[in-house]
Amino acid sequence: MTHFLTMSEPPPQTGADLLRIVRINEEIKRVVGVSLKINIMALNAIFLAKRAGTAARGFAVLSNEFRNFSQDLRSSMAVLTGVVYGCVNEVSVMLQDLRFTRLLQEAGRQAPQAALAGILERREEKSAGHRENLAKLRGQLKRAFEEAFQMVELGGVLAKSAKIEAAYGQGFALPLAQVSGEFDQIVEEIRASLEALRRSAFFSGN
Amino acid sequence: MKTTKTIFQDGSHKWVAIVRDPQKPHHLIDTNEYLVTHGGRGLLLDPGGAEIFPAVFSALATEFDPSALAGIFASHQDPDICSSLALWLEFNPQMHCYVSWLWSSFIPHFGGTVETFVQIPDPGLNIALEGLLLQAVPAHYLHSSGNFNLYDKTAKLLFSGDVGAALLPAGEEALFVEDFDRHIRHAEAFHRRWMGSNDAKRRWCERISQLEIDMLCPQHGAIYQGADVQRFINWFDELQVGIVGL
Repeated sequence: MTHFLTMSEPPPQTGADLLRIVRINEEIKRVVGVSLKINIMALNAIFLAKRAGTAARGFAVLSNEFRNFSQDLRSSMAVLTGVVYGCVNEVSVMLQDLRFTRLLQEAGRQAPQAALAGILERREEKSAGHRENLAKLRGQLKRAFEEAFQMVELGGVLAKSAKIEAAYGQGFALPLAQVSGEFDQIVEEIRASLEALRRSAFFSGN
Repeated sequence: MKTTKTIFQDGSHKWVAIVRDPQKPHHLIDTNEYLVTHGGRGLLLDPGGAEIFPAVFSALATEFDPSALAGIFASHQDPDICSSLALWLEFNPQMHCYVSWLWSSFIPHFGGTVETFVQIPDPGLNIALEGLLLQAVPAHYLHSSGNFNLYDKTAKLLFSGDVGAALLPAGEEALFVEDFDRHIRHAEAFHRRWMGSNDAKRRWCERISQLEIDMLCPQHGAIYQGADVQRFINWFDELQVGIVGL
């Protein structure tokens, strides 16, 4: 027997937030994957620059900077992952709260009880606390993305400098230009990922 | 909203069946909840799933102050048994939940703290409700591997959990079994499939036959009373269980 999965009704705001966080996390994983690739590419570029000798000394320095960039990017993504985990926690609690509040409200409609009003009031206070925590985490996540974005701007500058340095590589100018082109491409790939994250409806709530 | 029916009363000692909600969505299995009261306190037996909480709560509230609930008895770990636990705890966070030791770390996924749970050991436990002694009687593997019934010696009532359960068709939803032979057809497939062990079933029949029972109250379907109690035990004893008709 086969059960076919289908998308049902669009989820309400909190449910939609959970979906958005999942997408953000997937994009972060993609950036981590790409930054690992940069590390390997930079290592190969260092070996290539060594073979090219003094003419590619500048290229070697830039390649080393690319390795640092890769490491910094991964650290930045680890911070983001931590904040995302916090968001998942808050949203999960809020989703459960929503369900339980709905059921308690329904019970109150069917059998009005003084005790229920107090319970619902306490739940609302707790929910307000979770909403506040989520708003703080949302702000943290946004700031962390901006910092990561600035880091990628630096990566873009490094890639452009590597292109210029490659031109001085004499006999190795062609392979060095090819490597610097790949650096440029990969930085653009990360930039696109971060741009997508910046535009996530998780921040705008749309 | 569900309806309530007092099935036993002697002063403040009562058994109230909370049953049959015409508004219940069809995709949720119908369940019976039971409230035992004594001395102004109450024990709720298998309080039901979270989705039916409003219906159970509102029915119970017509009979009893929900904040006077002292505890919950969970026959086993299924979601239709006690996934509403967290909601009941809102009314009395000090409330205890009595459950087989086997499930005492599983049911907390539905709510509660470490103080909430009272573990019932395999041989059973006496539960005191304001001086009324109730007995958790082993019914392991019927159907859950850690499973208990609750016996009230004074009222001569046995809450039998899934044992005796029947999936009743529309139009045959009387609270008490009226025609045993007709009724038991709706229980047969359920027992063959859900009950996993013939040996466990035989032991249960021997154990329960030694108790004086006026009413056998299952979590689904209708209540057996009078001669139908022994009739059910005999029928169950003969039934081959743990069978999937593939």
